[in-house]
Amino acid sequence: MELLASLDFSAVWKYREPLLWGLFTTLWMACAAFVMAVPAGLLLALGRLKGGWLVSLPILAFVDLMRFTPLLVQAIWIHFALPIVTGASLSAVQSGVLALTLHVSAYVCDIMRSGITAIPRGQWEAAKALGLRPIVCFSKVILPQVWPLILPALANVAVSTFKLTAILGVLAINDLMKITNRVNNMVFRPIELYTTAALAYLACGLVLTAIATMVERRFGADRLTRRATGPHKAPAVPATTTSGV
Amino acid sequence: MDLNFDVVLANLPALWSGVQITLAAFGIALAIAFPLGTMLCAMRLGSNATLSWVAAGYVAVFRAIPEVVLIFWMFYCLPPLTGFRASGLASGSLALGLVSGAYLCEIFRGGVQSLGSGQWEAAKALALPRSAVWLRVVVPQAARLAIPPFINHMTELLKGTTLLATIGVADLALQSYVLGAQTFRYLEFLTAIALVYFIVIFPVARFAEHIERKLANAMS
Repeated sequence: MELLASLDFSAVWKYREPLLWGLFTTLWMACAAFVMAVPAGLLLALGRLKGGWLVSLPILAFVDLMRFTPLLVQAIWIHFALPIVTGASLSAVQSGVLALTLHVSAYVCDIMRSGITAIPRGQWEAAKALGLRPIVCFSKVILPQVWPLILPALANVAVSTFKLTAILGVLAINDLMKITNRVNNMVFRPIELYTTAALAYLACGLVLTAIATMVERRFGADRLTRRATGPHKAPAVPATTTSGV
Repeated sequence: MDLNFDVVLANLPALWSGVQITLAAFGIALAIAFPLGTMLCAMRLGSNATLSWVAAGYVAVFRAIPEVVLIFWMFYCLPPLTGFRASGLASGSLALGLVSGAYLCEIFRGGVQSLGSGQWEAAKALALPRSAVWLRVVVPQAARLAIPPFINHMTELLKGTTLLATIGVADLALQSYVLGAQTFRYLEFLTAIALVYFIVIFPVARFAEHIERKLANAMS
């Protein structure tokens, strides 16, 4: 009780503007990374499936490297080691968003791949028989059928992407976590500041999870199995849960 | 660009101490997460509505919050709240363990719930006592199904230990970053430890995929 009485949230209120900016930075980095990772993952998946071994093997190596090493290591590698290789240095925000995009695109690639392979061969053959060019065949016939299959898994990846942005605070990016640290170093009110930040992250995380659950209900595997007719059963795309780091 | 991995080899003792810290964090987190996940799963599937609701709430909260945020919160807020001065390794591993507990609960629950209802009915028809239904019928089969996602989660937990570097715990990731900064050999150090994580996680994850496929074939 004494502790509760000693709490003083005025520091949080006083620094509300930088803290809100931090939250904004966190959110736009998550959005940017996810929006870029989806088309990147789609291209990777297409390369894996249709590219021949010269394309698909390097993609496989890239995807595994992204999935099986920690994002924190990738982020500092891209920020500190990559400039030594390329000679061009990136700002912390650029490195952070690049690392997150590459990391997430690997997960998206796997999801897209299982979605595309789930479409029965007959669809490709029918589109080809109609004389559609391969690009049109993919974008007008196959892809529209892939989206509903993979949306639940993609929604989960969106939640993970948001959670992963907190890691990018290791680089000199003024996201919510970094700003909280900085304000705390000035006013030393750890309980108030970190609890506020944690609740803000939690609120965003819960909203995104709720959206993902709604998407799952709408497009989930149950509904597809129920509607599935004919010789092939609608295959469930595994809901890849990337608790992922 | 000149690569010189000698500098990495010269600093092996420091990197080895990082490996030990990483393994300690992994061990502590797992030691917390496994019993916690089991308990949460039992609460979630049990007949008591309140307990089930509490477990569901715990899982929802701890899966929605980023690990780093919880690690920072534990590191800065536990000492003033409890009066107990915990090291970064202890508070960070505790945070990882609490999050992992929520994930393990869902993994165990997934294993139990993917058993056909016939198993329960058959056990009931044999008039097995409740404890035997669980210990002799449900758990042995559910555990088999839960192994692949469990192994996958272990690889996630190993990757998660790197997050302790953010509160200054000298694990493998922080050691190599510090050594890179001291020697200006970022490329060598960071590439070397990225490969270390990859070499450990890759075969484990592939092995999990292998058993998953075998189990799927056995079930169908």
